[in-house]
Amino acid sequence: MEDEEPPVLTAVSSSARQLYLLLRCIAFSNKAHVQISDLGLKLAVDEASAMEASAFLDKSLFTTYTFNAPAQSQNPPHPDSDDDLDPPSATTPTFQISLPALLETLQIFGLTDPSTSKPPWARDAPYPTSTTFTGNNILGGMNNLCRIIYDIPGAPLSVTLTEASIRTQCDLTTYEAEYTDEIPFDRQALALKVIMRGSWLHDAVQELSSTTPEKLTMYAKTVRGKPFFALSSSGTLGSARVEFNNQPRPSAYRTPASTNLADPPAQPPTNLLETFQLSDPDTVLRSSYKFSLIQRAARAMSVATKVSIRADTQGVLSLQFMIEVEGGGSSGGGGKISFVDFRFVPLVEEDDDEDEAGDDVDETIMRHGSGSDEASEDDDML
Amino acid sequence: MRFKASIQNISTFTKLTASLNSLGPLAWVKLSEEQVCFTIIPEQGTQVWAVLSIDAIFATISVQSAANNVINLEVPLTSLNRALKSALNATSAHIRLTKNDKLPILALTIVTTTASNTYSAFPAAHTGPASHEDGFDASFDNDIGGGNRETIVTHEIPVRVLAPDTVAHLHEPACREPDVHILLPPLMQLKSISDRFTKLALADTKSSTAATATTSRTRLEVAANMHGCLKISIRSDAMSISSIWTDLNNPELDPGHVAGGEHGIAEHPSTRMKQLGTADGRSDQGWAVVSIDGRDWGKVMSVGRLGGRVIACFCHEHALILYVYLPNDNGDDESVLTYFISSYSA
Repeated sequence: MEDEEPPVLTAVSSSARQLYLLLRCIAFSNKAHVQISDLGLKLAVDEASAMEASAFLDKSLFTTYTFNAPAQSQNPPHPDSDDDLDPPSATTPTFQISLPALLETLQIFGLTDPSTSKPPWARDAPYPTSTTFTGNNILGGMNNLCRIIYDIPGAPLSVTLTEASIRTQCDLTTYEAEYTDEIPFDRQALALKVIMRGSWLHDAVQELSSTTPEKLTMYAKTVRGKPFFALSSSGTLGSARVEFNNQPRPSAYRTPASTNLADPPAQPPTNLLETFQLSDPDTVLRSSYKFSLIQRAARAMSVATKVSIRADTQGVLSLQFMIEVEGGGSSGGGGKISFVDFRFVPLVEEDDDEDEAGDDVDETIMRHGSGSDEASEDDDML
Repeated sequence: MRFKASIQNISTFTKLTASLNSLGPLAWVKLSEEQVCFTIIPEQGTQVWAVLSIDAIFATISVQSAANNVINLEVPLTSLNRALKSALNATSAHIRLTKNDKLPILALTIVTTTASNTYSAFPAAHTGPASHEDGFDASFDNDIGGGNRETIVTHEIPVRVLAPDTVAHLHEPACREPDVHILLPPLMQLKSISDRFTKLALADTKSSTAATATTSRTRLEVAANMHGCLKISIRSDAMSISSIWTDLNNPELDPGHVAGGEHGIAEHPSTRMKQLGTADGRSDQGWAVVSIDGRDWGKVMSVGRLGGRVIACFCHEHALILYVYLPNDNGDDESVLTYFISSYSA
């Protein structure tokens, strides 16, 4: 911390918990890419180039956020209506750190799991310096002061947490960034855009995961002007499908089998799909992904208020989760909104080889989609 | 050779044996009518020398032997701890040294009163515990006391009697005067944070190549200064993390306990250390550092369940000595557990 050159980044958050909750959504890899920009911190992880996930810590999450571009002039912030970050520009520092180490540091005071085991400090403290109340304060840990400093390029990323009279500092070794290319996702050529509640997607994926499938296939179609969206899983143990029918016709076929995923039969039905846009309403959009990769996003789904499901014409899937983190004290009122992004490369469809199977699936989809049959949420296609 | 005592504080005794057991399986127990000493000397790792006042554990005690009324035993702590755990709800518990088939045993007799009177599978036996000293664990119904039943359970713990010569050469490790002495924060808090450190460092070595896996010992650095700061830190390839406690207490030295009195204090290493370092712990100076095994430290910290004040004495790059004073009613610190942790050489 020399005086002559201000550190590249100084960020202070009044709640380490907020950061922890967001970063936990992408905690499936050992190393995370960190990208510092004027707008905030972006942490990204990838897996075998088939999927990538990133959490964006907006500068509004911090009480103080000072970024000094290390060299030359910093790029002007890109206007981005989609809340997606643009590819890194040359002057944004990018490096890798150990994500588990960062997460452990953020929860060093045990702030995340007050329920697990007995609170070790809540017991009668025999020390005059630590009464029961200060002990509880440490445990509750809602307002750990968290300071993130990145001094100069190549320096460790230092995270300092302060709680009562304990100060923890973790210097995370920064490694050279490994990749520069993101999974290309063409926002200008969207084939599909669906917005719905994150928990519904979570429920659907949970439901489908019971058969430990290998593949998740997404179908989207407009049927007589009505949106139709389905997730189907298939594996060695069988296959299953969850359908999201927007405004299903109140037909007599509607059986009590409908659950929370299906609409209540009362009129007017609430829209399951807040937004449904299909670039070509006449065809069925069908795209498959590796189920185990989709499952990596399960934690994000469970905490997200909304999820935007998008696929471009290449079939690349983007899941964007809107997550409201509680105020943490510094924010004026209500929760702050943050975004966690996932991108998945589609599995190569073998349409020609599996003609019968493919057609069969499509037909059942059509049948259900037209509302002529029972609208069950899980449907064996065997 | 006779030893008989009634246990007053079962929960303390249980926690004590559990803490000691994490460091070594066998304890040298030295019994006398003035005090009880538990000593653990593992092949490597932390030594514990505990001196307990009688009333910290026992209500009454009687010790008789040919060797100045001192009995030395080698006690398997796991068995003793297991036996004591079953006594946690006991109304009373007694321990005595006796013989079973000429083998010395410690017999722990536990009397439990249960309110249940639906269970009467055992025939009532109006016999005292004394006549069952050579029986196996047995339960007896005792109809005295209306609906309440008394259950008597006797645990037999095989022990070895140590001759005075065997233990004569065992002494507490001698150590030079410490550079820094400091009152530690609550041990459970310290343990929780240092356990996280150890876990982090281990996770890091696991994920890296086999070359680094050989050094699976996690080397935790513990340091303190004379300005109320304690620092624990660990280093791995991916990160280096440290926690600093500030505003801790450095107790004043008692001239009566330092060689040379007032002059001795002036010459004491800690007086010199007071000149160095700062109270916010940001200075690099004035730290007395020891480097110890993370897992071993975690085991030592388990003594935190006993509560009590802990004073740590740091001999820079040499050893760390912890004095754990057990809380007792009359305010005196008569019972003290001393942990000797030697530092890895740098």
